[in-house]
Amino acid sequence: MRFLAPILLAPLLLAAPPVRLDGTVFRVSGGGARCEELVISVDAPGDIPALSGSCTVEADGLAFRPKYALQPGLRYRAVYSGAVSMFEIPKRVVTPSAAVVQVFPSSAVIPENILKFYLHFSAPMSRGEAYQHLRLLDAKGAPVALPFLEIDQELWDREGRRLTVLFDPGRIKRGLAPNEEVGLPVTAGGRYTLVIDAGWQDAAGQPLKSEFRKEFLAAEADRTPPDPKTWKITAPTAGKSHPVSLEFPEPMDHALLRSLIEVTTPAGRSIAGSMDVDHEEMRWQFTPADPWKPGEYVVQVARTLEDRAGNTLGRPFDVDVFERVEARILKETVPVYFTVR
Amino acid sequence: MRLVTTFTLFASLTVAAVDYSSSLTSGKADMKSAGSLAFGPDGILFVGDSIGAAIFAIDTRDRKSAASSGSVEIAGINEKIAAMLGTAPDQILINDMAVNPLSKNAYLSVSRGKGPDAIPVIVRVSRAGKLEEIPLDKVKHSRADLPNPVEAKKDARGNNLRLDAITDLAFVDGKVFVAGLSNEEFSSNLRSIPFPFKAVEKGASVEIYHGQHGRFETNSPVRTFVPYEIKSEAYLLAAYTCTPLVKFPVSSLKPGTKVMGTTIAELGNRNRPLDMIIYQKGGHDLILMNNSSRGVMKMSAENLDKFEPIKSQVERQGVQYETLAGWKGVEQLDKFDKDNAMMLVRNDGGSLDLKTVALP
Repeated sequence: MRFLAPILLAPLLLAAPPVRLDGTVFRVSGGGARCEELVISVDAPGDIPALSGSCTVEADGLAFRPKYALQPGLRYRAVYSGAVSMFEIPKRVVTPSAAVVQVFPSSAVIPENILKFYLHFSAPMSRGEAYQHLRLLDAKGAPVALPFLEIDQELWDREGRRLTVLFDPGRIKRGLAPNEEVGLPVTAGGRYTLVIDAGWQDAAGQPLKSEFRKEFLAAEADRTPPDPKTWKITAPTAGKSHPVSLEFPEPMDHALLRSLIEVTTPAGRSIAGSMDVDHEEMRWQFTPADPWKPGEYVVQVARTLEDRAGNTLGRPFDVDVFERVEARILKETVPVYFTVR
Repeated sequence: MRLVTTFTLFASLTVAAVDYSSSLTSGKADMKSAGSLAFGPDGILFVGDSIGAAIFAIDTRDRKSAASSGSVEIAGINEKIAAMLGTAPDQILINDMAVNPLSKNAYLSVSRGKGPDAIPVIVRVSRAGKLEEIPLDKVKHSRADLPNPVEAKKDARGNNLRLDAITDLAFVDGKVFVAGLSNEEFSSNLRSIPFPFKAVEKGASVEIYHGQHGRFETNSPVRTFVPYEIKSEAYLLAAYTCTPLVKFPVSSLKPGTKVMGTTIAELGNRNRPLDMIIYQKGGHDLILMNNSSRGVMKMSAENLDKFEPIKSQVERQGVQYETLAGWKGVEQLDKFDKDNAMMLVRNDGGSLDLKTVALP
């Protein structure tokens, strides 16, 4: 972390040697200086504890090294033997640069029992404020009350660039009190706008460059599990590095398309390559690292792959156990075979 | 949170001849984040690290029983912690709170910073209000890595975006129970990890279903839970992500099995439990829970063995609960002693107060 030169604001008593800030180390010059006489703290009102750090006696006096980096924009107070010095760490002037780059599902028509949104940002974001900056508006521009599952543990990826926003499953799942009392957050036929306001701070404390809006039309609920028999596979040609593609009749969960599908040999050996998802999450493509060799291959799709409403392969999001819709799940993956010629 | 309950109810089970401390080694606890907390035996604090996908056992060396509990009231605890860490109150997050059942000192898991590179900190708050950091760079500890349930692919930047948020922890009968919520698939992910830690089996998670009114069921994640003994059998009372409060016997939680929780209460909209404690008052067992609208609810924990599960939509009632009108802004809740709860409360000015309150 780099700092601009600190400002020595007010050495009030000149009798005692003043504290100076040397880079990130608070120092008191002179032999005989004692750590017990030195107290460094954030300049804040009330009874606050001293700054975490360690004081050592060195050849030319005392050195206090804060345990954590000094915070730009904050003022620190150093008291040595009754003399008070203030140090202000200049604010960093940074222009907002982070933006929402994509929201999935990307389609403009979404089933009313949609389970989640994925918000992708161009830069790491701050935690702890997601639900203050997310609104779902109805066609009249009025906010929908509590559409999302607001949890303290916000569902970010490690880098803080993707947030998973779950719709409140208690309102989606049929038969539960919230579902029956207040119903689905969005209903078929309605037009909605997801608004991500610009006040959301990135990890550097800067707001977003601009507000982001995603408009969509809610369609009838989707309670049909994805059926691999309806998928279309297009095999590539031997000797080329063209992708193999798998097309779905409905959009699938964007993240899970990337996490839960792989290409192997019939013996199960993984093929190296990269994948892409496009056509509003209705097409998955895999481009091999090396040109295809002729032979049989398998696209292995995990049974836990979800569509936009949380239906997995062979199992709807909420199963009616009286009707026994659930298929017997014997294997963890569904194989989709293709031949390269 | 949840430690006293574990201790009082499972004391006979946990006081086995195990030298827990000897399973820990000194050095840096390489935590990437500090989230859910739960106390185990002998002042050992379990810390959920969602970003590092691990559970840490930390020896707090805080084993001295408090002679008397007294009361605690520390206004603006978030401001004090921020000052100690050399930053502003809006630059820290307090993620969880647990009270050491022996010393009654409170432990808070804190993020210094709010971005992905925030520094994890564990702060001990003595009953006298003294704040102290647990030195994570030199502490006796051990860790259990949580296996990734799917062999997630890396994106174009070489990152694996999939992560389980650890939403709750509890130590029961020699095991740490861990509830996780994935940022990708919607499925149950409750694990039990024997302590002292060994390698966690990849298939160790239990598939827990939520059957509602005998009709619809989902493979629903458990969000928060508390151990409780019913007729000498260890149970978990758990709140699903999709709201209902259920019970299931700990003995049923075997890896690879399908477990169906029994719904004991439907808490209605806006009442998602965040923390739960169980206590005795006037000869009765009671459950206290703070919820997503920052209020507090109380319900009876008695006769749950005789309780008729909710089976049809006409029988909506379940166990009755009462919303405590005067308790507002409660963000964290744990048991302090037999008569008092400890709470982290958001006050009208927006800062957080740590205080003990008599159990209702």
